[in-house]
Amino acid sequence: MDNVSTLSAKISIEHLTYRYPFAKNRSLEDITLSIDAGQSIGIIGRNGAGKSTLCYTLSGLIPRFFHGKIEGSIKIDGEDVPTMSVEKLIRKVGLVLQNPFSQISGAKMTVYEEVAFGLENLGIEKDEMHERIDTVLKQFDLYKKKDKNPFELSGGQLQRLAIASVLALQPEILILDEPTSQLDPCGTTEVFEAISQLKTLGITVIIVEHKFEKLVEYVDKIALLNDGKLVKYDTPEKIFSMPQIEDYGVGQPIYTALCKRMGLKKPNGYYPVSFNETVTLLSGLKMYE
Amino acid sequence: MKVLSLYVERDTFIHRLEPITKLLYALISIVITFLFPSITVGAVFVASSLSLAISAKVFKRMILLLNVVLIILLSIVIIQGLFYSKNATPVFKLWGLTFYKEGLLYSLLLIVRVVNMIISFGVLILTTRPSDLVDDLVQKGLSPRFGYVLASVLQIIPQMLSTTSTITDAQRSRGLETEGNLLQRFSAFFALLGPLVLNSLVEARERAMAIEIRGFGVEGKRTFVREIPETKADRWIKVALYVVFTVAVVWRIVLWIM
Amino acid sequence: MAKNSKLTTAILVLIPVAVGINYAGKLFASALKLPLWLDSIGTMLSAVLAGPIVGAISGAINNIIYGLTTDPVSFVYSLTSIGIGISVGLLAKAKMFNNAFRTLLSGLIVALVATVISVPINVVFWGGQTGNVWGDALFAFLQSKNVGIWLSSFFDEIVVDLVDKVLCVFITFGIFKALPKTLIYTFKGEE
Repeated sequence: MDNVSTLSAKISIEHLTYRYPFAKNRSLEDITLSIDAGQSIGIIGRNGAGKSTLCYTLSGLIPRFFHGKIEGSIKIDGEDVPTMSVEKLIRKVGLVLQNPFSQISGAKMTVYEEVAFGLENLGIEKDEMHERIDTVLKQFDLYKKKDKNPFELSGGQLQRLAIASVLALQPEILILDEPTSQLDPCGTTEVFEAISQLKTLGITVIIVEHKFEKLVEYVDKIALLNDGKLVKYDTPEKIFSMPQIEDYGVGQPIYTALCKRMGLKKPNGYYPVSFNETVTLLSGLKMYE
Repeated sequence: MKVLSLYVERDTFIHRLEPITKLLYALISIVITFLFPSITVGAVFVASSLSLAISAKVFKRMILLLNVVLIILLSIVIIQGLFYSKNATPVFKLWGLTFYKEGLLYSLLLIVRVVNMIISFGVLILTTRPSDLVDDLVQKGLSPRFGYVLASVLQIIPQMLSTTSTITDAQRSRGLETEGNLLQRFSAFFALLGPLVLNSLVEARERAMAIEIRGFGVEGKRTFVREIPETKADRWIKVALYVVFTVAVVWRIVLWIM
Repeated sequence: MAKNSKLTTAILVLIPVAVGINYAGKLFASALKLPLWLDSIGTMLSAVLAGPIVGAISGAINNIIYGLTTDPVSFVYSLTSIGIGISVGLLAKAKMFNNAFRTLLSGLIVALVATVISVPINVVFWGGQTGNVWGDALFAFLQSKNVGIWLSSFFDEIVVDLVDKVLCVFITFGIFKALPKTLIYTFKGEE
């Protein structure tokens, strides 16, 4: 069933369907999409559209943590995710969740040891462990806090710690499930700065996010989900230029809304999604005047 | 309060001992005081535990720890002094009540045992970072999964309790009766505990997912970022403790046989 | 992701939360000036959710932690907490909480179990007392009437435990019934 387009893909999902135990409806229904290595992908959709469920399936929590039957296939580098060994899976995929507090292991008394938690579990040698911890703490500007108790950190710092702790395991794919939804504006900015660094590391990033103005700055493509189904999987400008986008209850970047109001399209026929695009477009208009 | 702990940070010989050495001392001294129904044996261990506490510079904190059981210890003296079943020899009278020698001695035995238990464990608790004790136990063979439970409980509880004040305020602002009659206060109890339970179970599920993703379920060799060293002093003290314990048990058996 | 093991990660994470609920119960009860402890709701809830073994572990850890942080004497009453955890877990399995009458009966059984385990501990450590004012007053009265130490201690303990444990059982079930099914399912241990 492998076709040419999925052969080179890092992640390939085909006809994926899943229902939680005790749930009435399917959370995912017949989803097919592929993500290339090094791409950044956004997942959007209203509450209950299946965004988190898709993240859990990609990271293997379904069916290991949440049971229930998976139909269809989900593969990373051609290997079946639901049956892959846990150890291997952890080295492939990392996951960051919404609530910064509940992601802290709770068993460690310092930020430094908190990052070590995952490395200890995987049996990483001590020298390498110290090296990796130092690297990620510096990378996410937490090195000065290394001897603090994790619970003394702010929400934004905690979320950066969560990202650092997962990245210390050096996954090839990082999934972020609404990483800023429970943060104040300041924390949100901090986390987005951290996310922008991820691109430079060359890892594949999948991010569920409602703050579209920020999201469109980072992602190559967006998957729009509705009622567990994949509505459209395309570039941000094509997604947000859909005339019926409002029907899926997701809103749109403020710049797109503005340009739609003004009837301003880019030369390629789509509406702009980011601040920069909009400014370019507007300054272009001025020139014609 | 971020961590539930009585640990007092000092730099003393006792602080530097391996946590398991201190745990072993506490356990062995408690078992021996219960093996021998003797006030002298109890007093010897109280004295030795107390000298450890003093040399660890935690004497003041120890007194606070003992305060917790002060009232029940006093009530033991009174009730046993007055009503102990083997009471026969009156010692003194107070407000028309007669105190007996047998009861007072019995209460003294109970007291030295309990006081030794508190001081010997107190030395462990006051001079050891709780997570070091857990790390030490895991490095010596305790299941890391069980170690996780012990280590996390010390941080999760204060975390949960810090949210209780938020919940209390929220419910009060919705007009919850916290001062009314007994029935009203019972329903208030429900309204306070219910949301706390729901929230913390949801968070627990998320935490379980987060640690799974960080390899908690991986079975195989683990490494430790903090290794708890066993010094020469630790080895000697452990040997001495085992010797004392063996002698005590043998002696006890001999006493039973004879 | 540990396979075949009954103590799944979700359950291991549940245990500290259960102990926290015990603490919170105690805290709320004293804040509301309720004349009871109400400090075993977490242990009971973990037993109902994940079975008697998990209930026992939660109970034991509750007392170990309480002993490590507040009152070292609490260590020895781990046995009582273990008994509460096991009995609630077994009663839940036997569907002994399906209606109010059965729940009351279960509460009485749990109180009895707690008392039977506590009495020998009271006798060994405290010469039979419990440390509760009302219970100890009864104990002193019975001792003065030459009732045996075991029986006196039994009454001392049960007057305290009866109301407390029955109420804890009712509160636990009130809360359990209100929890969403999808959440309960996560913490189910035995399949």
